[in-house]
Amino acid sequence: MTYTSAINKALAGIRDQSVVAHREVEAVLPAIARHGDEVALQWLAACTALFSFERDAGKAFIRGSLEAEKVSEEVLPWTGQAMAFMQWRASWRALEGFMANVARAYGSLGHAGEQRWAEIGFGWCARQIESGAAYFSTPVLDLAGRHGGIAAIEQIAAPADELYESRKLMLATYLPGAIRVRNLLGAQAILPWASRGADILQSGRARGEAYFRLESEESLSLLLEHLPGYRLTDRNRLLGMLLDVWFGGEFDLRESTWSPEKGRPFIETDGRSIYFPAVMADREEAILALLHTAGHLRGRTFDRGAMQQMFAEAKIDFPKTGVVSWAPLFLRFGEDALRFQLLFDICEDLRVDFGVQRSVPNYLRRLQRAARGIGVRHPETAAYYDLALESIEAAIAYLGGAAADPRFAGLLQPGATVADAFRAAIRLHAGSTLPPVTELEAFLAAYLPGRSPNAARMAHPQESDDQSQQTQAGSEQQSEQQDEGGQETEAPQNAESGDQRDDGEKKEMPSYGDSSGQSARASSESDKQGPNQGSSDKGIPYPEWDYRESRYKRNWSWVQEKRLAESNMGETNRLMKQYELALKRLKKAIQAQKPTRMAPLTQQLDGDDMDLNAVVAFVAEKRAGQSPRPAIYKRREIRQREVAVTLLADMSTSIMQHLPEGGGRLVDRIRAGVLLFAESMEEVGDAYSIAGFCSKYRDNVSYYTLKGFDESLTDEVRAQIGGMSGRLATRMGAAIRHATARFDGVESRRRLLLLLSDGRPEDYDDGGDRRYLHEDTRMAVKEAVAKGVHPFCVTVDTMANQYLPQIFGPGHYLVLDHINSLPNKLPEIYLRLRR
Amino acid sequence: MKTAASRARGVEHDIVQAPQVGEVAPYYEPQGNEVAIFEAAYKRRLPVMLKGPTGCGKTRFLEFMAFQLKRPLVTVSCHEDLTSSDLVGRFLLEGSETVWHDGPLTRAVKAGAVCYLDEIVEARTDSTVVIHSLTDHRRKLAIEKKGVEIDAHEDFMLVISYNPGYQTVLKDLKPSTKQRFIAINFDFPSEEVERKILVKEVPGTRPEIAQQLVAIGRKARLLKDHGLEESTSTRALVYAASMIAAGLDPVTACQVAMVNPITDDTELADALMEIVNAHFA
Repeated sequence: MTYTSAINKALAGIRDQSVVAHREVEAVLPAIARHGDEVALQWLAACTALFSFERDAGKAFIRGSLEAEKVSEEVLPWTGQAMAFMQWRASWRALEGFMANVARAYGSLGHAGEQRWAEIGFGWCARQIESGAAYFSTPVLDLAGRHGGIAAIEQIAAPADELYESRKLMLATYLPGAIRVRNLLGAQAILPWASRGADILQSGRARGEAYFRLESEESLSLLLEHLPGYRLTDRNRLLGMLLDVWFGGEFDLRESTWSPEKGRPFIETDGRSIYFPAVMADREEAILALLHTAGHLRGRTFDRGAMQQMFAEAKIDFPKTGVVSWAPLFLRFGEDALRFQLLFDICEDLRVDFGVQRSVPNYLRRLQRAARGIGVRHPETAAYYDLALESIEAAIAYLGGAAADPRFAGLLQPGATVADAFRAAIRLHAGSTLPPVTELEAFLAAYLPGRSPNAARMAHPQESDDQSQQTQAGSEQQSEQQDEGGQETEAPQNAESGDQRDDGEKKEMPSYGDSSGQSARASSESDKQGPNQGSSDKGIPYPEWDYRESRYKRNWSWVQEKRLAESNMGETNRLMKQYELALKRLKKAIQAQKPTRMAPLTQQLDGDDMDLNAVVAFVAEKRAGQSPRPAIYKRREIRQREVAVTLLADMSTSIMQHLPEGGGRLVDRIRAGVLLFAESMEEVGDAYSIAGFCSKYRDNVSYYTLKGFDESLTDEVRAQIGGMSGRLATRMGAAIRHATARFDGVESRRRLLLLLSDGRPEDYDDGGDRRYLHEDTRMAVKEAVAKGVHPFCVTVDTMANQYLPQIFGPGHYLVLDHINSLPNKLPEIYLRLRR
Repeated sequence: MKTAASRARGVEHDIVQAPQVGEVAPYYEPQGNEVAIFEAAYKRRLPVMLKGPTGCGKTRFLEFMAFQLKRPLVTVSCHEDLTSSDLVGRFLLEGSETVWHDGPLTRAVKAGAVCYLDEIVEARTDSTVVIHSLTDHRRKLAIEKKGVEIDAHEDFMLVISYNPGYQTVLKDLKPSTKQRFIAINFDFPSEEVERKILVKEVPGTRPEIAQQLVAIGRKARLLKDHGLEESTSTRALVYAASMIAAGLDPVTACQVAMVNPITDDTELADALMEIVNAHFA
């Protein structure tokens, strides 16, 4: 090919710089030259400029040019765009991404779309070149998502712009996660997800980045909460009740590690526990699935004897102990494994569902209705779906007195086992003309609503001697509360550590096409997790109110009950001596105002006794010719003033500060106040408890009970009061919720939560947004009131007038402007409140 | 048809009134040997305590027994403001005089009636103590205010009802009170008996409806430990059957008679409705 001299000159210039580059340029040039010499010259100039700007930039440009020209059928626009990268330092990676994707951008977005796509990227390059690189390196199709278009790219970029402005969030951090969030939940979900992430990022880099990679628990749980559909996590109790009603006894219900990317959500079992996903399509499917899965457990799908028999027939060794993999049963069929697995599940599920029908009236009919309700079937596996439905309909007809379908007849007998299902499946498979199954999505779509792949988890065989069954029935009386507590605390733990624990026993669901969805759902070995043990280290979860979204975040803050390790009897003794007089005075005051137990009511219209004064008056008036009201009785009535009070002290770092007026630290006054309070309470005789709290992050709220309601004021308690000290921050809402919960079981007419604080609610992870914990505390106070607990805040923060009225409401707080008065005031405040 | 429960409607009649000739006995379906126990206790005039959940037939049983024994039945529903004066009697002014008025217990003691203190735990402890002397060998009622004692009529009998599990954490009978009684435990009747009750109590109830209602009741009672203060009673089943007999569709009837009244908890209601829907699907 011959070029003009100008072009040849430019080529020579390139050869001087790099022989390799020259060779590549020569390969591309013919395509470029089609657009005319002027264009070719400009393109060559760009090559030279970029090459001398940065070798890698030049190389990337040259390599991408051929494809870009081919798709765009022009040269100058994208050449100009590539030149633009030279205004930023170290931009070759961004340019590399740009050149790799520019052809695709032209192809899928059109010329105008490509222009916009590049502009958005340039905006980011200008802010931070890594973000620009991340943007351009992301395949255009991923950026645009399934439904594509430049609009989708703008949608995903817009929140990033906003968050960059407000919180300096970089696109590089945000983009990969945001794409996944958009694909799962739609574009509207990105902004709330990302703003939370930006907050977290500000409190800790590693934590924030994990959040954006969708690896942290908080990120996943936030996503799950936004998923549409029927939320099972919120209905743990309902699920438990339904199981209790229809099957009796206890089931171990756990939340599975399912996440939306893993495809269709199923309720599954491994022979021991029932694992439910956070969300299912609708209520009907969820309930059918729950009943079906419980049916597997009660119908003894995992019966060791029956499983052994089945494995023996398949000539596969059955492990004597430990978990059992289903996979060998299906792998015998090689390519046909998925097909056989579906047939086996149809048989086994029919057997189980027929058993469920015995416990749950009209269950099969309900299943039939739900199954028919799904109009669109996956074309590849519609035949399996229909076969399953057919088997259900035949079973219903059988109940109505018709003859059983010969293919499934044996499965409807009460004594049928999973081995019978296996045999039926083999027969079915032998004579089957059903199409082969290759795709995972099609495979999962073959299941009727409520059913799920039975082999999804490693099986824990149930012992044949019915032992497990009996113990389950025996433990029926275990309190439901305990049960629930266990589940709630455990589920997130599972979610968090599930992946790591999987390593020990990776699921073998091999090479069924793309089986990533299944192996990801592999059971996590959790032998050591009794339902009650799980709660101990993580604590008790409470929701937290997010004013930005006007909703509660479930299981957000975690409170750990602790005992105060420090105790200091010396300090206590010193304080007792120092405040001896004050205490005496207090006790006297208390004795003087002790309520009399019986309050006589006089001048009643009826009562137990005559009110003599009233009688005299009555008779006198009567004699005088009047007609007085016969209110001449008196009645004694017990005026109960039972009050239970919790003194909840803020034990954050700030209490360690030295008092401005000298004379020690704030904590000294707090210790003295708590001590005097305790001593006075002994005199008053009301039930009381003393606790302190501090926090570091939402999942680490410590609640120190110094004295419980049922404990007495021992020297040990006194010494602990002497040992109180400040640490960490003030997540007040969680502490109030926990203190409120601790009132459970305390018998009293009035419950008072006396909060002793020195500042506003704050924590390390509030991202500097003061309002967030304020609003949460305000909600916690509201919740407490709804539960019959009246919070009252005593604070030494003289600025508290700015925030306490909003949190506690007017009249529900007191600011002590003189810190030295705290010890004396605290008991007095209580006495005033209880009046 | 005249029954003891429906003799003359809308008319005042005295609380102490023996069953009259021609009245039809109240319907009661024995669950076990409670009739025999009660008759034996009555023979020896021993006070009886009926224990059992709300709506399982304690009151109906007593109406039935009083009718069988041809004794008047005086019922006092106890509440937390009930004082001993409310039971024994008090002085009241009438015109310019103070006049003593016997309370229901005193009247029953004098007339030889069966006195039934319903939900006795609800009453204050000081008022339950007045029955002590009536419930042991003395069979005397002391009226402190008048300074007199009354020897109980030879046919007088005291019956109390007591619902364990119903707020008994807060209130319980004093052991000294409890041990003065013969106690008969009631529970919800067996399925068969309950079906019979529904069919008999609500004329026009088809057996299959009765069967389903009873099955629902069984299942619903399993939820007692999940936060129901009181489980679905036989009375609730009767109500549901009545609503169905009155033309309401079964699911709605169950909802209004068996679900809505006993819980405000939406999840519990959800679970209960799940049971109802499953049976009437």
